[in-house]
Amino acid sequence: MKHTNFKILFVLLTMIGFMSCGNDDDAVVITTDDDGGMIAVDFTGTFAQEDQMGRPGINTVLSPDNTTENAFNVTIPSAQGAAFQPIFLQRAVDLHAAFGVEYETNILGLDATTLTTILASDVLQVAPDNPTSYFDGTNILTGRTLTDDVIDISLILFFGGQNGDRFNGQDLDGDGTPDLPILVTDGVSAAGETPSSSFPYLENPHN
Amino acid sequence: MKKTSLLAIGVCLALVITGVLVAADHLDAPDVAGTTADITDFYAFEGATADNTVFVANVQGLLPPGSSAQFDENVLVEINIDTNGDLVEDLIIQAIPRDGVMYFFGPYAPTATGLNSTIDANTSLTGQVDISAGGTATTATANGISYFAGLREDPFFFDFNQFNAVIGGMAPNGFNVPGNDDFDGTNVLSIVVEVPNILLGGTFPHPAGTGVEVFNTWVEAKRKQ
Repeated sequence: MKHTNFKILFVLLTMIGFMSCGNDDDAVVITTDDDGGMIAVDFTGTFAQEDQMGRPGINTVLSPDNTTENAFNVTIPSAQGAAFQPIFLQRAVDLHAAFGVEYETNILGLDATTLTTILASDVLQVAPDNPTSYFDGTNILTGRTLTDDVIDISLILFFGGQNGDRFNGQDLDGDGTPDLPILVTDGVSAAGETPSSSFPYLENPHN
Repeated sequence: MKKTSLLAIGVCLALVITGVLVAADHLDAPDVAGTTADITDFYAFEGATADNTVFVANVQGLLPPGSSAQFDENVLVEINIDTNGDLVEDLIIQAIPRDGVMYFFGPYAPTATGLNSTIDANTSLTGQVDISAGGTATTATANGISYFAGLREDPFFFDFNQFNAVIGGMAPNGFNVPGNDDFDGTNVLSIVVEVPNILLGGTFPHPAGTGVEVFNTWVEAKRKQ
């Protein structure tokens, strides 16, 4: 018991020492715990990036292999465009070729090069003075709400062509069977999600 | 014989369950998937108060009901904000747990940008909140900024297994309508910060040419070296 107290005192003294003269004096905080006691909390050290994300699904969908996925996560956004846009463009070409077609300029008027150029820099644009929507027809990429159907929007921008419904299971010859695959929706909507309208917005966990 | 059959069934079940989890874990790169630094989702939206922006960073996805998963004290979650469109962070908001409490720093301008970060605990805007284990959310507010950290229902919805079939060339008809939400019934560890826009610096014209004024934001998970 006594020994432990000495240890705590020593730690505190050491940290206060850091605070007064160490190089890391910006990273130790003296605060109070739940019982009102003084504690020193250590935030020193260097933290190295392991994961990065701006928009949903970019790395998952557009990186063709594990090596690319790993590299994308440890590349800063300002360097992502040059390094990954050519890879993502080829991926767009390949995913269309798998269904025997070529990419068609999408509902936003973006050709494959422009679309992959925008997506390769994996950041989310947020318009602080406008309503938030990933895309609702009026608000275009002004952020991401908890119920935005980002998967369907991404699929529409990627596969939907100029009208947004290019691959929607159409029955072209009228024989009652679809001739085109469904690629513009995953068939899952936000209907099952009921976030709160007040902080912290996310629903209580399942238990 | 009976025991062997049971064992066989058990092994089969384990394989099936592992298969499902592995499929879903492929949401991100193998180096980080399934680790405590695995970011599952990032949201940024107008708050209930229109002058605020809400940032949500989720880590460690696909947690089962009643999960006792914890934030990692060695993992710093950093929200980056670029106010001039050069794709370099001008402001950061940092969150890191210590002994059941999530500590927040910022928004503030970092002394260095890029892959490596340090924490300036003396920055003017700081806050902390007890980490919520489940049920009722514990929140805190300081300097007009609201804070939350803890277990939440995962708001993401996606037929991820069918997506894998589509890009794997195993689904010539594409997606199913209706599809299956593979994230239904799962939890995630969530960090939520609501910040007055006045603390978020400037904006620039949207890069997609829509004429709307925006800032760029993204989240990083960084591990102590």
